[in-house]
Amino acid sequence: MPPMQIVVCLKQVLDPDGVNAYALWGRLRVDERGTGFVADSAIPQIVNAYDEQAVEAALRLRDAGVDCRITALTVGPDAAAALLRRAIAMGADAGIHVADAAGPGTDGFRTAALIAAAVREIGDVGLVLCGRQGSDYDQGVVPAVLAERLAWPFVSMAAGAQPEGGGAGALRVVRATPLGEETVRVSLPAVVSVSNEIGTPRYPSSRRMMEARRIPPVVRPARELLGGEGPRAVELAQLFIPDVQGHCEVIQGETPEEKAAALLRRLRETRALGG
Amino acid sequence: MAEPVLVLLPEPGSPLASGSLEALGAGRALAAAAGAPLVCAVLGGAADAAAEAGERGADRVLVARLGDRPSGDALVAAGAAALAASGARVAMVARGAHVLELTHRLAARLDGGSVTGAVEVRAAAAGDDVEVVASVFGGAARAVYRFPAGGPRVIGLAPGAGEAPARDATRTAEVSQLAVEAPADARVTVVAPAAAASGPRLEDARVVVSGGRGLKEGANYALVRELAELLGGMAGASRAIVDDKWATPAEQVGLTGKIVSPDLYIAAGISGASQHMVGCSSARTLVAINTDAQAPIFQYAQFGIVDDCTAVLPELIRLVREGSSRS
Repeated sequence: MPPMQIVVCLKQVLDPDGVNAYALWGRLRVDERGTGFVADSAIPQIVNAYDEQAVEAALRLRDAGVDCRITALTVGPDAAAALLRRAIAMGADAGIHVADAAGPGTDGFRTAALIAAAVREIGDVGLVLCGRQGSDYDQGVVPAVLAERLAWPFVSMAAGAQPEGGGAGALRVVRATPLGEETVRVSLPAVVSVSNEIGTPRYPSSRRMMEARRIPPVVRPARELLGGEGPRAVELAQLFIPDVQGHCEVIQGETPEEKAAALLRRLRETRALGG
Repeated sequence: MAEPVLVLLPEPGSPLASGSLEALGAGRALAAAAGAPLVCAVLGGAADAAAEAGERGADRVLVARLGDRPSGDALVAAGAAALAASGARVAMVARGAHVLELTHRLAARLDGGSVTGAVEVRAAAAGDDVEVVASVFGGAARAVYRFPAGGPRVIGLAPGAGEAPARDATRTAEVSQLAVEAPADARVTVVAPAAAASGPRLEDARVVVSGGRGLKEGANYALVRELAELLGGMAGASRAIVDDKWATPAEQVGLTGKIVSPDLYIAAGISGASQHMVGCSSARTLVAINTDAQAPIFQYAQFGIVDDCTAVLPELIRLVREGSSRS
């Protein structure tokens, strides 16, 4: 039996902790176009952390004895290709770079259409793994739309996955839900989105980092894959910074007791607390 | 926008959970602004949810009987049937365990567009359409989204997207059953379900007292539980101390735990990582107690105490107890 083809989707994001830090300092500004931040150049671009966890999920399937070939795939500008090298250094076998100039806040429906086309082109793919959501726009749109475009079953919020039985015709997936962990069985091929509960992804060795340089990604232009411009379903019209910060009233007092008493008084005065 | 506004309530809870109530409130506000009727679709869950939806502002209620723990496939099929039966072009999905998957899959299946994390749904400035304000970058920014395509607009709501409408027992809605074509085969089957919740829900508590690593040791979580009980509320926890087993997974507040929107949220020894704030930032009043004056939690708080929470919590407990024994 040929090895199972696993595709892991990765996205390059503006470091959300960097964006948050600028916001907390009150220095986050929206640029003239209205759809990016002025501080963009000072905030690093990183691999979406949830997508690194999707790579980890694929590698754990291999560790569990699944005979597989793991392809890391990204959609984006030239700079995005660097994250494929990292995925290969972690243990993926190959990379595909879908070259697309579309910038930040890209329509996830377009991204999903591109990934679906690339997956069909690879052929015989048994599993697509994605991070649960981009840690930038927090939409979680790509894995769900991808499953619909491929007409494959979808399991979200995976905290772990194991092959079901001998042949890898199905997976047993543990999901993180608000009620606790749930275990499901999903038939393959399928799309599975991975949550942070899976734990810290492995760190590539320096030897693997060197080797990864010798495995250049296959580049596929977006227009060729889509045979045109592709769908437009959602448009980012405007970014803005909410006015929620800096209104904290610091309760004064010499001792914990004084502060506790002052807090209760203010909570009653503002009717945040009854009585 | 003469066509009705649709609100989708997947497993809405009985009585309706706070996420379902907010969705009805958001739906009613948009429908009122457009002079359109509000249709509510109850997808699975308890039988009495339909009547409560009517008492809380729905003009028409569609009920899809899906049994316990409906699959994602069943919910998408039911959502598509509700859009077809209602004639709506805008559908809002109540927040909860199903919101991400249902919102995006439904839009994809019907060749529409979707946005999740919506804090506001409003009429677009130009034309006969809606636009959505969504919380992005872990709450550091907001994005305004529009829908250039022709299909349905499916919008997943974030905490605080709507005000829970009051219950009016004299109000009734026309209730009808929704015919849902069952998916041909079960592609995803539950092997071991999550423990079913019983008793009061953290999501519905009016007061939540939460603890984090600033409690210093597991035994101090008892202070959080005690203050919560004295205030008639429930105890919550950061993911860090759930991982440390100081608190149970059912008490976790945040991105992968419960999303709460109480009247009062007291965060004791919690730094305010964005993953935690997603779960509590829509609280009406947020109090932070933390030794680090630079902790992000103070950016979200209305009231802050810069001090050791293990020293402040016992004082709060004592004062609340004294106050209640006097009255």
